[in-house]
Amino acid sequence: MRKLLFMLTTLLLAAPAFAQPGGAAAPAGGWNWSFAALGLGFAVGLAALGQSKVAAAVAEGMARNPSARPGIQLALFLGLAFIESLVLFIWVMIFLRAS
Amino acid sequence: MPEQLPFTALLNRAFAGPVTAALNALHLYPKYPAAPISNPVAMQILVVLLLVVAFMLLRLRLSVDHPGGMQHMAESTHEFFSGMGRELIGHDYERFLPYITALGIYILACCLIGLVPAFESPTATPAVPLGCAIATFVYYNFHGVKHHGAGYAKQFMGPVLFLAPLVFLIEVVSHLARVLSLTVRLFANMFAGEMVTLAFFSLIPLGVPVIFMGLHIGVALIQTYIFVLLTCVYLGAAVSHEH
Repeated sequence: MRKLLFMLTTLLLAAPAFAQPGGAAAPAGGWNWSFAALGLGFAVGLAALGQSKVAAAVAEGMARNPSARPGIQLALFLGLAFIESLVLFIWVMIFLRAS
Repeated sequence: MPEQLPFTALLNRAFAGPVTAALNALHLYPKYPAAPISNPVAMQILVVLLLVVAFMLLRLRLSVDHPGGMQHMAESTHEFFSGMGRELIGHDYERFLPYITALGIYILACCLIGLVPAFESPTATPAVPLGCAIATFVYYNFHGVKHHGAGYAKQFMGPVLFLAPLVFLIEVVSHLARVLSLTVRLFANMFAGEMVTLAFFSLIPLGVPVIFMGLHIGVALIQTYIFVLLTCVYLGAAVSHEH
């Protein structure tokens, strides 16, 4: 285990060997899109976690009480749509500003 | 000349002169005087015309003994909005039913017309959902004032009197945020649906974008329902009686 850790650390330290001699160039289109992608990735990941909780609760509810399906399905769509809208809020802000 | 849809070009060919003259009289100078009507405006006019024709047809086909398909659809729509109003607004909901039903049908038609080739969704531009949200804001505040009179401001004061200035500020900001959230929610969902379809169209032009157009239909239905639901909730809050 310790040998594995030492090997991995050495490999990571050797990473700068891949740097180009001309110096790292800025990404095409500037840094805006990189930061935007990072932020959006965060937003989508957290939204996915939230939506998964909703879906799990819906599945359990429908399993416990199959006759309540219409009401539970309604709550499912409402919950998912609201969480999705939050991600779309931040996407619209980024799309409008970071172009 | 801007990029125009066929229907927009038709409207501009027919009405560009009078519309530009009317706008100039109001000191508004369109960027392209030969095409003062933009795509979203033309699409909204088309939606209104189609809805008027549909409702006229429906009126002609109403019958007590032999209800047709359109009548069934209209009755179930009425049931749907009526149930939502009763549940969220309370006992006096019939007054608001015309606005709620018209808003719901209009937004749904605007969102769905973008799926037809040669038309685009007016709700995919920020101005149209903003218009709907401002209309809702004015409507529920108007009815709140009409119902409560000057006591409408008490809703904004909060429970305790000495916190009233702070709570008033927070309430005003929260009400303005409602307009913003209604607008951005509808606009972002419609715009994102379009972008996603375009993105997959640029990758695989055949077959795959149809899946995303189907998703767009589902999203349009859900977002219309959410818009009308929130309108009913705000109306209910504005005209509520603290018995």
